[in-house]
Amino acid sequence: MDVDPRQYEPIPIKDTDVHAVVLSYLVHNCFKETLESFTSCTGMKQPSGCLEDMEKRKRIFHFALEGNALKAIELTEELAPDLLEKNKDLHFDLLSLHFAELICSKRCTEALEFAQSKLAPFGKVQKYVEKLEDFMALLAYEEPEKSPMFQLLGLEYRQQVSDSLNRAILANSNLPSYSAMERLIQQTIVVRQLLSQEHGKDTFAPFSLRDYLKS
Amino acid sequence: MGGVEDDNEPASKRIKISSGVLRGLSNGSSCIEPISVSSIDLMARPLPSEGGEEILGSKGVIKRHEFVRIIAEALYSLGYEKSGARLEDESGINLHSSLVSEFMQQILNGQWDECVVTLQKIGITDDSVVKSASLLILEQKFFELLDQEKIMDALKTLRTEITPLQIKHNRIRALASCIISPCLSVPLGLPSRNSSDIARAKSRTKLLEELQKLLPAAVMIPERRLEHLVEQALALQCTACTFHNSVDKEMSLYTDHQCGKDQIPSQTLQILQAHTNEVWFLQFSHSGRHLASSSSDRTAIIWEADEKGSFSLKHQLTGHQKPVCSVSWSRDDRQLLTCGVEETVRRWNVSTGECLHVYEKTGHGIVSCGWLPSGNCIFYGVNDRSICMCDLEGREFDCWKGQRTLKISDLEITNDGRQIISICKETGILLLDWETRAEKVIEESQTITSFSLSEDSRFLLINLLNQEIHLWSIQGEYKLITKYKGHKRTRFVIRSCFGGLDQAFIASGSEDSQVYVWHKSTGDLIGVLPGHSGAVNCVSWNPKNHHMLASASDDRTIRIWGLNNLSTRHKNSHSNGNHSCNGGT
Repeated sequence: MDVDPRQYEPIPIKDTDVHAVVLSYLVHNCFKETLESFTSCTGMKQPSGCLEDMEKRKRIFHFALEGNALKAIELTEELAPDLLEKNKDLHFDLLSLHFAELICSKRCTEALEFAQSKLAPFGKVQKYVEKLEDFMALLAYEEPEKSPMFQLLGLEYRQQVSDSLNRAILANSNLPSYSAMERLIQQTIVVRQLLSQEHGKDTFAPFSLRDYLKS
Repeated sequence: MGGVEDDNEPASKRIKISSGVLRGLSNGSSCIEPISVSSIDLMARPLPSEGGEEILGSKGVIKRHEFVRIIAEALYSLGYEKSGARLEDESGINLHSSLVSEFMQQILNGQWDECVVTLQKIGITDDSVVKSASLLILEQKFFELLDQEKIMDALKTLRTEITPLQIKHNRIRALASCIISPCLSVPLGLPSRNSSDIARAKSRTKLLEELQKLLPAAVMIPERRLEHLVEQALALQCTACTFHNSVDKEMSLYTDHQCGKDQIPSQTLQILQAHTNEVWFLQFSHSGRHLASSSSDRTAIIWEADEKGSFSLKHQLTGHQKPVCSVSWSRDDRQLLTCGVEETVRRWNVSTGECLHVYEKTGHGIVSCGWLPSGNCIFYGVNDRSICMCDLEGREFDCWKGQRTLKISDLEITNDGRQIISICKETGILLLDWETRAEKVIEESQTITSFSLSEDSRFLLINLLNQEIHLWSIQGEYKLITKYKGHKRTRFVIRSCFGGLDQAFIASGSEDSQVYVWHKSTGDLIGVLPGHSGAVNCVSWNPKNHHMLASASDDRTIRIWGLNNLSTRHKNSHSNGNHSCNGGT
């Protein structure tokens, strides 16, 4: 059973709104060429001055995703000089990415020295201690991928950090840090779930985005 | 001593430890097999100097080689190293096998890799013990390396030796963190990063102590084992000592400890005469410095003890219109409750003697009362079968009505305030969980006349119609533990109580005018105290002075009982009775 279409079909949607949603998504994810062709096709005005930055942001994002945290940090400093100062958590995450990279490539001595010089200072603040310990524990294993902290070496973690970095840079340039698309989908899911709960399982099946998209 | 090289290395060059743990002549010969040690190292062979039996003692349970090893350990612990070595020599029994001696030496020298190997060779069967011991050793190695700033070596130890032991991950995390952050090691209780030689030596000694506790006792005898055995024996003598009633008894190793009957109060020290009728109830305050008594003359009296332990009348509390059947001290001894028979409860200020409040239940009479552990509320039993709780101003806030009770007379509350205990029928005691209202009953075979609760709320003493007193345990499952007989009870309510050091004794009144005292665990009657000329209704043992007992009688007097010959002896406070225990006084 699904929501009665008569409840939402009459609501008018303007094309321009839809375009704006798509645009924000493209901007957020640095799809520069797509953005250019989209704006020319739809006759929209390109958002001012963001193309150059987008290019830079894209590079930063990819460096972080690959694990080349030092390069990402360098470029971030260029693009937005106090960003990492103001976002200590992010800074720590990026540095730890580099540490993880060193561990993965079995450069333990370097990893240790890096930890002592760059990560240890964070250890003075209580909230970083646990995370610091998580990373340090990786040093204790000859096969860190088999240790209990193996996720710290994985793609998912790098993705998480890269996303945070991306959002921080956007926020810094006074752009929204979440794309409208993302927000809308999130809200839809919540609303649908509430509806399911309110009306009981018999009336509405629990909402699954994936199923909905397939249907 | 000549130019031989060996002699130039005096034993004192090794790091001296008080326990002398590391000495054991490793002349390679040891004839004794501790059970868990592999027999490869130790060969049994008859020794010339010994020629003795393997089993010692009249009961045939002491093994010679164990006995000698313990004595050797004791000698070393005391610092008598030469004697220890001589004993090992003469008896041919080594304190430690040569492997173990080697192991200990390696630990003290910091030869970690060697000692892990030796550990394996010792042949301990329990793998988890070997693993724990190896871990202790490797951690010491790890920390010492960190100390010496050999960080990479420390890391290598961690990675290649410690982690493969598959210990808890949290431990690994903690160790890894220590590499970059010395301050983290302190809260973990790990050795501090102190790089002086002395500190290092101390921590190696500590390591040895820990290993000693970990490894099977036969491999490395626990430190001070002989002292421990002797202390056990002394403790056993204490428990077996029937009349043990003083804390300050010295125990000697020469004779078995046995207190004499002179530890139990048996002599009247004082007779308190002030009531004009039968004295029904009395109770010492928690501090033992006051005594409250109640009588059918409708009054209650607060007595106060001076420094010499002599009681004198402090206040006579008048106001009740009926005989006063019980009193109850507040936890801080500053207030007293008195209860008139089927009448009211009054609350008094102990130091001024003034009546602070009268509690009544309109249309009914109160029969018993007590304080809640918090001291802010009181509870009482009413003759309409209910138990009520109210605050100090008399505002009732809770009430429970019994199903089967006739008259809720005796009433007690456990220390945690959770259970109210009362007599619920002729042969039953009710334990009521006040919050859940769950009821549990102790069934007796005879009519119950009174009961009392021990100080720790674990035991219940029940007086029965058939002249027996029963001790029940109310912790967990209810069990009848002991019965006490001997006193007389035919017509009246007689009360009994716990008392003495650790509440090891039971005392009771009796209709034959005497006070009876039993040993709580054995049930033996150990004292009968004559003196009163009327039935003794109630007894109370001073909670702070174990040598003082008080009894209340129909002859209108109260007697204070103490130790025999005490009056000639005491100069200072009444809580001290010094007797030597070796028979002579």
